[in-house]
Amino acid sequence: MAVQGIWSGTISFSLVAIPVRLVTAVETGRVAFHLLHTKDHSRLSRTMFCPEEGVQVPPEEIIKGYEIGPEQYVLVTDEELESLSPERSRTIEILEFIDLKEVDPIYYDHPYYLVPAKGGEKAYQLLVEVMSRTNKAGLAKFVLAEREYLVAVISREGALELVTLHYQEAILPHQDLVSGKATIFPEEETQMVLTINKMISDFDPTKYANERRTRIMDLVMQKAKEQGVVEAPALPEEEGAVPPDLVAALEESMSKVKEHR
Amino acid sequence: MSRTFVDIAGKRLALSNLEKDLYHPYGFTKARIQEYYQGIAPFMLPHLKDRAVTFTRYPDGVGQEPFFEKRCPAYRPLWVRTADVVHGGEPLTFCLINDLETLLWAGNLAALELHVPLARAGSPKTPDAMVFDLDPGEGAGLAEAAEVALILRDLLSGMGLLSLVKTSGRKGLHVLVPLNNLSTTFEDTKTFSKAVAAIMEKHYPDLVTAKMAKQERRAKIFINWSQNDASKTMISVYSLRGREKPYVSFPLVWSEVEGHLEQGRTESLQVTANEAVRRAERTGDLFQDVLVKEQRLPHL
Repeated sequence: MAVQGIWSGTISFSLVAIPVRLVTAVETGRVAFHLLHTKDHSRLSRTMFCPEEGVQVPPEEIIKGYEIGPEQYVLVTDEELESLSPERSRTIEILEFIDLKEVDPIYYDHPYYLVPAKGGEKAYQLLVEVMSRTNKAGLAKFVLAEREYLVAVISREGALELVTLHYQEAILPHQDLVSGKATIFPEEETQMVLTINKMISDFDPTKYANERRTRIMDLVMQKAKEQGVVEAPALPEEEGAVPPDLVAALEESMSKVKEHR
Repeated sequence: MSRTFVDIAGKRLALSNLEKDLYHPYGFTKARIQEYYQGIAPFMLPHLKDRAVTFTRYPDGVGQEPFFEKRCPAYRPLWVRTADVVHGGEPLTFCLINDLETLLWAGNLAALELHVPLARAGSPKTPDAMVFDLDPGEGAGLAEAAEVALILRDLLSGMGLLSLVKTSGRKGLHVLVPLNNLSTTFEDTKTFSKAVAAIMEKHYPDLVTAKMAKQERRAKIFINWSQNDASKTMISVYSLRGREKPYVSFPLVWSEVEGHLEQGRTESLQVTANEAVRRAERTGDLFQDVLVKEQRLPHL
């Protein structure tokens, strides 16, 4: 199996259609922990609890409520929400080609790679090459997991990246937060320019590592070595009952085995 | 750190510290490990193909604590194939070892042990085989495991099922029943194997236990049927083991197990890496049927 894609379809614009797969481009490196019961080290599970009745609530008795006023809810079912989802689509429809420099990085949400699917290799290479040479990125609309995204399709080092973008209304204005009213003297400005110039460097992300992750993993490995590990008790199995036929057949086979031994 | 570059199928692989002995004091360097995987690859790769592999890595050799690695390392070469696997929680990206270069890359990470699930990543609910992990408790060993394996073979054969056996490379044996059909689920193999383990325990109570608890296993063979689960992994056939010697989980022919048991020398059923390539080249892949033989479990 090739790299599993999250989605597959085509990039399209004008008369061009390039089959591609979308694959994830970042792994956060977050260290995942499970929650265990201190007494017996069982893996804990989350349950929904009704404080009114003091009982655990099964999934079929759960419904979403939008809080429209204090303690007042409008009930909305999953089916109703689903009916509002955009139609699943198999295309990344490029609407415009833009200059990436015009896009404030605050719009960048989540990065993916687009990889060519079978038969799309050549057209993919061509798009990579031309977008890189003209320094343009594609602005596209794209439906993933029942949501419509605005995305940028970017050519970088021989491959296409897709970055989902925040919608404009999601970006909070900074005007309320930052007032631009201070008086700046020329010598202050010169001093700042000098300081910055001294610290100028090429961007080299390999110089920086997720030290918290490293420290946590070192701690975990050291504890595993020194204190050993704990084991969760085996859960009672929920497999189906053994059919009586099977038991009878096994008994019969077993009696033959014993005859010959 | 010393580095050697090799080019395979147009892919460049950096091998580091080839002179490092990972099986001290027995003596088996990383170069020998790479040599082993290169020699065994034609037999081993078809068994690894498209399975989400878990590494047990011994960067400081078999005398030191290993660590498990499920998540395919983020610094993997671009050509390493992966599969996203979900077990309950978040999906995890596993490595797939589908070619020689990835196998050698794993060897370079000192991933001596390659553990794989019974199902392939594309069909996670349907195992290719049902397994009986024969695990000797304290005071029992390969002799008892061999005895149980042979009874198991006959019992299964009476049910019309072909089974194959391999060493675990540790103390025990693994008996596999090829399925290779997309209708037998883990629920089926679990039900069937549990019933088999129960009948074995009932008829050979001094030799067999089907219970996980350590104290129940003393001087007995624990038939670990619960390995028949989508979330469990087993040592891959032909994988090295991180023991004092470079033992391999190696397929055996049944007559060999019988012969060794009769002559009371079951310890020599163990196969080292040196022997393994020679034997595989002579006999071919004795586990071929695990890949191709189609069988269905009766009476389910």
